[in-house]
Amino acid sequence: MLWSLAVLPALAALLVCTLPKRRGALAALTCGTLALTLMLALWAAAGGWTGTLSWNAALQLQAGLTRLSAVVAVLVPAVALPVLGYAAAHEDSRGLGRLIALLLAFVGAMELLVVAADLLTLLIGWELVGACSWALIGHRWRDADNPRAGQYAFVMTRCGDLGLFLAAMAAFAGTGTFTYAGLAQLDGALLHLLVFGVLLSAAAKSGQLPFAPWLFRAMAGPTSVSALLHAATMVAAGAYLLIRLQPVLDRVAWFAPAAAGLGLATALAGGLVALLQPHAKKLLAASTSAHYGFMFVAVGAGYPAVALLHLVTHAAFKALMFLAAGLYGERAGDFDLTHRRLGRALPYAAASSAIGTLALAGVPPLGGAWTKEAVVTAAGHMSPWLAGAVILAGGLSAAYAARFQYAAFGPGGEQKIDARLAHKPETIALAALALASLILGMLWLPGARGVLEPWLGGALPAFKRWETIASLLAIAAGLYAGVVVARRYADLGAAGVLAGCADWLGLPALIERIAIRPIQALALHVAWLDDHVIDAAVQRVAALGLALARAGQHFVETLADGLPEGSARWVALGGEDTRRLQTGLSHHYYAMIAVGAALLAVYLILGS
Amino acid sequence: MLTATILVPLLGALALAFWPNPGERTCRSLAAAAGTVPLILLLAVWLGFDTAAGAPQFQWVENAPWIPSLGIGWRMGIDGIALAVATMSALLFVVAIAWPADTQGRARSYYAWFLFLEGVSLGVFVTLDLLLFYVFFDLSLVGLFFLIGRWGHGDARRAAFKFFVYTFAGSLAILLAIISLVLATDPLTFDMRELIARQPLAGMDVRAALVLLGFVVGFGIKTPLVPLHTWLPPAHVDAPGPASAILAGVLLKMGTYGLIRIPYSMMSATFSRYALALGVLAVVSILWGALVAMAQRDLKRRIAYTSVNHMGYTVLGIAAAGALLAGDQTARQLALTGATVEMVAHGLITGSLFLISGAFWQRAREYDLQAYGGLARVAPRLTGLTILASFASLGLPGLAGFVAELQIFVGTFGVYPWLAAIGLLGILITAALFLQMLQQLFFGDLPRRWADFSDLGRVEVGALTVMGLLIVAIGIYPAWLLTLIDHASALLTGGGG
Repeated sequence: MLWSLAVLPALAALLVCTLPKRRGALAALTCGTLALTLMLALWAAAGGWTGTLSWNAALQLQAGLTRLSAVVAVLVPAVALPVLGYAAAHEDSRGLGRLIALLLAFVGAMELLVVAADLLTLLIGWELVGACSWALIGHRWRDADNPRAGQYAFVMTRCGDLGLFLAAMAAFAGTGTFTYAGLAQLDGALLHLLVFGVLLSAAAKSGQLPFAPWLFRAMAGPTSVSALLHAATMVAAGAYLLIRLQPVLDRVAWFAPAAAGLGLATALAGGLVALLQPHAKKLLAASTSAHYGFMFVAVGAGYPAVALLHLVTHAAFKALMFLAAGLYGERAGDFDLTHRRLGRALPYAAASSAIGTLALAGVPPLGGAWTKEAVVTAAGHMSPWLAGAVILAGGLSAAYAARFQYAAFGPGGEQKIDARLAHKPETIALAALALASLILGMLWLPGARGVLEPWLGGALPAFKRWETIASLLAIAAGLYAGVVVARRYADLGAAGVLAGCADWLGLPALIERIAIRPIQALALHVAWLDDHVIDAAVQRVAALGLALARAGQHFVETLADGLPEGSARWVALGGEDTRRLQTGLSHHYYAMIAVGAALLAVYLILGS
Repeated sequence: MLTATILVPLLGALALAFWPNPGERTCRSLAAAAGTVPLILLLAVWLGFDTAAGAPQFQWVENAPWIPSLGIGWRMGIDGIALAVATMSALLFVVAIAWPADTQGRARSYYAWFLFLEGVSLGVFVTLDLLLFYVFFDLSLVGLFFLIGRWGHGDARRAAFKFFVYTFAGSLAILLAIISLVLATDPLTFDMRELIARQPLAGMDVRAALVLLGFVVGFGIKTPLVPLHTWLPPAHVDAPGPASAILAGVLLKMGTYGLIRIPYSMMSATFSRYALALGVLAVVSILWGALVAMAQRDLKRRIAYTSVNHMGYTVLGIAAAGALLAGDQTARQLALTGATVEMVAHGLITGSLFLISGAFWQRAREYDLQAYGGLARVAPRLTGLTILASFASLGLPGLAGFVAELQIFVGTFGVYPWLAAIGLLGILITAALFLQMLQQLFFGDLPRRWADFSDLGRVEVGALTVMGLLIVAIGIYPAWLLTLIDHASALLTGGGG
C-alpha cells in the first residue's frame, strides 16, 4: 500500500511519455498527480501504512514510515508541486514532456527511498534518484557539456553509493536481513563498516566535502531541476538517511564527531565559496552544501529532529530562491551576478526571493531562522566551540544571501517589466513557496515546541541566550558584508585567485589530478598491457606452435619419411651386396667358409 | 520434450541446407519458426517445473542407452539453473534470427548455421551426459566459427580462426579432465547425476587438483577469465551483430554453466579447496575487464571487455558459493543464485548491446566512438534503447543487472568479505565507461556525415523492446525467476530444496 507513494508518480511519468505535449495538459496531469501523492502521503502517515514485496527468501523489500520519515514523505510532493508546476509552465517547450516525465520519476524514486524500511529498498531508490539526476542535469543534451556534467554528478555520487552497498552487505552478513529494525543486533566490525558506508554515501549525496563539486556541475540542468534536486530530492536524501538511521549510527563512538566535523567543514567552506561565487546558481549550490552541513552537525550532535526541521525549512526557501534565480537568469540571459540588478524588472520575483533570502540568512521570525538557531544550540550541546563555528557559518550564510538578493534583485538596474516573464503560473509557484516560508515562521510561536516535541518523538534543544545573541550579531554583520560586496565589489570572485577559490577552493582540480586522471591513465596502461603483453604472449604461443609445425616439416618429416625409405634402401643395398657374394665359384665359397670358421673359432676362444 | 528442443532447430537447419533455392524471406521465416519452437518448449518445461521443497534437482529426465559399455547414453534433464539459462538462450536465438541481418546473398546457409548453433547450444544446457555435453560444447564452436568467418567484417577470417583455435584448446583441456574424471568411476559412467552422487575424485589430492585445473582452464577460456580472454575482443569486433549477441549471450555462459555443472558439482571438495583462488581470479577479471573497457575507443571492443567484467561477477558468485568450508549457507545460496541471474541478465543486456552495435555497423560501417556524436537528434529510438541497456549493464536498480550483482556481492561478502569489497569498485568503473560511451555516441553536436543516419526500424525496436521489458521485469519483480533458480542453488549449496 505504501508503495503507491512511489508508484503513482512513476506511472504518471509513463503516462506523460505517451500524451501529447501541450503545456496545459502536462501541467494539469503533473499537478494532479503530485497533489494526489501529497494526499496519499498524509493518509499513509496517519494510517501507518506499510508494504512488503518479496523477491525471494533472503531479499524482502519493505516499506514503512516513522514520525520523522513521514514528514519527508509529505515534504517531497509538497515541494515538488510548485516546482513542477513552474517547470510545466516555464521551461523550454523542446523536450518538455521528457523533462516533466523525468521530474515525476525523480519524485517517485525519492519517495521510494523515503518509505524504505530496509537497506535494499533504500539502495534501489537511492540509485534511481541518481540516474534521474543524470538525465535531468543533461536534459539539454545538444550542448555536450550538460550531459558531461550529468556524468560527473552520477559517477561522483556513485562513489558514495558504494558505501551503501557496503552497508547493505555488512547488515546482511551480520543479521541475515536488510531491515532497519534488524540493525539493532549488529555489532563489532560490521557495525563500524555499516556506519562508515552510510556516512560515505550520505556525504556524497548531500554534497558534503570532498564530494561537493558535483553540485556545481549539476547546475547545468534547467533551473526547476536544480530547485527540486536541492530542496526535496537527491541532495536531501543524504541528510534524510542520517536522520532516519541516527539511533543505529550513534552506537559507534566516532560517528558523532565525524558527522559533525564533516558538516561543519562543509558549512564553513561552502559559506566561503558561496560568498565568493558570482554565478547565481552556483552561489545557491554552495549554499546548499553548507546548509546540509548544518543538518549533518545536528545529527552528529544527537538531534535528528532538528536536522529534519532544518531540512523542511531549507526545502521551502531553497526551492523558492532557485526558481527566482531561474527567472533572473532568463531575463538577464545568464546567471552572472556581477552587473545586473533586476529588482524593478522582476518585482514579484524580487519580493518572493527577498523572503527566501531572509530565511536563508536566518533572520527571525522566519522558519529558517528558528531551525538554524536550533542547530546552533544542538551544536552547543556537543561543544561551545562547535556552536561558535556554526554561528560563524551562519554569518557567512547571511552574507552570501544578501549578496545574492542585492546583486540579482537590488534596485538601480533595468526598469522595464517584461510581460512575458510576469506570467501567472510562475508567480503563483513563487508565492506559494514564499508563503510556506512565512508559515514556517510559526516555529517561533511559544507553543510550537510543546506541539512538536511529542509529535516528532524527540527532544528539541532549548535556546541559550548568549548563543542566540551571538548568532543574531553574526547575521547582522553578514547581511551588511553581503550588501557591501554586492554594491562595491560586484565582481568579487569573477577573476584571479578568488575565482579559483570560488570553484570549491580548487577541489575539483584536485579531484581531477588525484583521482580522475590517474584512473584514466591506469586504464590506458592496463589496456596496453592487455594488447602487448597478454595477447602478445598468446600470439607467441601460437607462433611457437607454427614454428614447431614448420620445424616438423623439415626434420620430423624427413625422419618419418626417411626411416622407412632409408631402411628400404639399406635393405636393397644389402641385397645387392649379398648378391655379389653369390659368384658360383666354389673356391670363393670355400674361402668364405674358412673365414667364417676362423671367426667362429676366435669368438669361441675369446668368449670362453 | 528436451530432446525436441535440440532436434527441431537441427532438423530446421538440415531442411534449409537441402532446400533448393529458397528466397531470403522464406529462409528467415522458416528459421524463425524452427527457432521459436525450443523457446515455447522450454517455457512449457518451466511451467511444469516443480520448485517445491523436496522436488528432485533434475526434472524432465529422458534416458536412452547409447553405448552402454562405456556408460554413455542419450540423457536429457534440466535443473533450475540450466532452465533459466537455456530459456534465456532460446529467446536470444529467436531475437538474433529475427534481427534484420545482412546475409550477403547467402541467406540459406546463414540461417541454417544459426539453427544448427541453436540446437547444439541448447544441447549443452539440457543434456545430463558428460560426453554429449562435450560434443555439443565443441559443435557450438563450429557453428559460430562459420558465422563469424563467413558473415563477419574486417579481418573476420583471422578473428574466427583465433576464436576457434583458442577455445578449442580450452576444449581439449576439458576433454582431458572429463576423461580423467570418468576413468575414476567403476563401472564407467558419463551420467552427470551419477557423477555428482559419486564424487569420483574425492580423496585424490593431486589428480583431483589437476582435473580441476583442466576444467578451470577450459571453462576459463570460454567464460572468459583474465588472462585467458584475448580471443574475445577480435571475435566480437569482426562478428556480425546477431552472432556477437549469441557469442556473448549464450556461448560465454557455457563456461560458467560448465563450472557449476561439472567441477562445482562433481568434485565439490576439491572445488572448495581452490575456491578462494578462483575468487581472486574473478576479482582480477572484474577490475581488469572494466579498466580495459574504459580505455577502448572502439564501441564493440568496449562492450566486449565489459563482458569480461560481468562474467567476472558470475565467477565470483560461483567461487563464493563453492567455498563449502567458509560462510553460511544463506550467503552461499545468495551468491549462486546471483551468479545465475547474472548469466541471464548479461545475456539479455549484452545481447541487446551487441545487437545495437550491429545496428551501428549496418548504418555507418564505423565503430570508433569518437567519430560519433549528437545521434539523439536523428535516432531517438536508438538512443533510448541504448540508454536502457547501458544503465542495465552498469547495474542500475530496477533493471536486471542489479538483482544479479547485489546478490553476488552480498553473498560473497558473507564468505570472502575482502573480495566483495574490492570487486565493488567494478560497478563504479562500469558506470563511468558506459556514461562516457553514451556521451560520445548520442549527445553534443551531430557530425555532418551522420545527418542521414537512420533510426532503428520496426523489427529492431520490437526485438530490443522484448529484451528491455524482460530486463525491467527481472529488475522490478524477479521473484518468478528467483524461485526457479533458488530451487537448484539451495540444493547445490547444501540447503533444503
